[in-house]
Amino acid sequence: MRKLIVLILVLAAFAPLAAGGSQEKAQPAASGSTMAWIEGPSVHGLPGVNPLKVTGNIITAGSSTVFPLSERMAERFKEEGYRGNITIDSIGSGAGFERFTVAGETDIANASRGIKEKEIENAKKIGRTPIEFRVGTDALAVTISRENTFLKNVTKEELAKIFSTAQRWSDVNPAWPAQPIQRFIPGTDSGTFDYFAEEVFKSNPEPLLAASNLQLSEDDNILVQGIKGSPYAIGFFGYAYYAENESALNIVAIEGVEATAANVDNGTYPLARPLFIYSDAQIMRQKPQVAAFIDFYLSYVNEEVVRVGYFPANEDVIQKGRTAWLEAMQGLY
Amino acid sequence: MKIAIEHPFGKKMRIHERLIEATLFGFALLSIVITLGIAIILIRESYLFFSDPEVELWGFLTGKEWQPMIGRFGFLPLLNATLTTSVIAMALGIPVGLFVAVYLSEYASDKTRGILKPVLEVLAGIPTIVYGYFALTFMTPLLRSIFGMETVQIYNTASAGLVIGILVLPMIATMAEDAIGAVPKELRLAAYALGGTKMETTFKVVIPAALSGLSATFLLALSRAIGETMIVALAAGAGPNLTFSPFEAAETITGYIVRISGGDVSYNSVDYNSIFALGLILFLITFTLNMISRKISRMFHQEYE
Repeated sequence: MRKLIVLILVLAAFAPLAAGGSQEKAQPAASGSTMAWIEGPSVHGLPGVNPLKVTGNIITAGSSTVFPLSERMAERFKEEGYRGNITIDSIGSGAGFERFTVAGETDIANASRGIKEKEIENAKKIGRTPIEFRVGTDALAVTISRENTFLKNVTKEELAKIFSTAQRWSDVNPAWPAQPIQRFIPGTDSGTFDYFAEEVFKSNPEPLLAASNLQLSEDDNILVQGIKGSPYAIGFFGYAYYAENESALNIVAIEGVEATAANVDNGTYPLARPLFIYSDAQIMRQKPQVAAFIDFYLSYVNEEVVRVGYFPANEDVIQKGRTAWLEAMQGLY
Repeated sequence: MKIAIEHPFGKKMRIHERLIEATLFGFALLSIVITLGIAIILIRESYLFFSDPEVELWGFLTGKEWQPMIGRFGFLPLLNATLTTSVIAMALGIPVGLFVAVYLSEYASDKTRGILKPVLEVLAGIPTIVYGYFALTFMTPLLRSIFGMETVQIYNTASAGLVIGILVLPMIATMAEDAIGAVPKELRLAAYALGGTKMETTFKVVIPAALSGLSATFLLALSRAIGETMIVALAAGAGPNLTFSPFEAAETITGYIVRISGGDVSYNSVDYNSIFALGLILFLITFTLNMISRKISRMFHQEYE
């Protein structure tokens, strides 16, 4: 009996070591010959993808705005036969670039803003050259609760006051109620936050952050809950989250322009912005599953983008991404 | 206390006995090493924060605005929210927990005990994320229906505090019951012999005698409440706000840490470093509370022979 106890104790002491040792299993080396997934007719100039033949995992992270779109594309990729794992972390564009360019942990960065000069420099330091693929357009939705009866339209100036110095609604417009404004906005590292600060506050986030009654969250559902919760609440986020919660929220027109497909497409809606995914030629060549997924993404994104709640990007800019894909993969297929 | 046992036959300790002792000692040592490691990391990373030219210690401790991204480093709003939720939690948890403990150890029949104890244990086993959603989807609407939609914001410290109170209740009840149960039977019998009723015995003799254990319990529960994260992250609010109204949204220290470490900030920014400084403060607060609780239990400890 005693021997048994000794044995168990000794085993318990060494078990973690043993487990640690066996975890370091070598990843199967990617080779250039695994482009077997190319099959079928080409779509818009890109080679056809057969997801059934794609193997290996894909790691992506970034914008919470791009998240629903990437998620939808990944779902479709799986529906059509891909059996690997796609991770999509919704952590904000900045953090997504951080993981892509500094830590180098991800294969694809989702972003609701263009990459910054400094981020490209960081990427170069770890031997990556980010390639930009435009996948759609988002209209930033300024939303209020359904119970809010006084707000239908705001000017950009009013918007700036509402999200900074004004304490009460009546401080912005005397016709509005003398109730404190409750603000719900995306976290400081999200592309949505950056974009709003850029458009409304000329890139200076200070007044936005100094506002009272301010709730910041990277989780857009927390914002939706908060805005729903009071007739005096207001917030903003990507259009898809509004589309998803249309029954509970109202969207405010900006400068009299509503966020409709036509207004976004012709550029009159003031708060429309591009959505991107980023990768790197080296990664795409070493991990054919990444190339395959991007190929698939660029081929079918326009069939899915509206269903997710965003607006299709201009065909020309998507084509630019397709050309970049072909350049990156040159000679490999 | 260590009891030395003379080996009856003067034999040497067997080799595997030594092995067991060494292994157990190793594990004990491991827990100390881990604690030290955590403390060292916290101190090192907070140094990064405090050595930032924008940050000064005095401003950090007394400033009324917390928004590191634009250079406002006063942590009072976060501390205030943490204290608000904890005090509300204690206001619910201590009396209810104490009464449950008194009932369980002094009044309940074996049968009711047999039902009540497992129920309490179930309560203790619920993951805090579930409590968080309970706060958001049940407690907040309840508060809003009582006090009005206008007064109670959707995210508020009262709701989070009350649910933390429910969270620590089983812990208080179980530990308080142990403390009360440890009071020697002779004391109760003596009180009855002097003509005390059951209630007089319980509240004037047993509880004062168990005071050391009880206060230790309450302080441990308080440090648990201060460190609670998921509930406040979900229900208390996600923006620093210096307010004394429990019905307003306000972010606690742990809530801020969880929001920033949720991956939304670059590694070398002052926001990121600030969470270690706040972690250190939390560590110091709970560490102090635990030390005080040990002190108290020793100070009031009475030996009954």
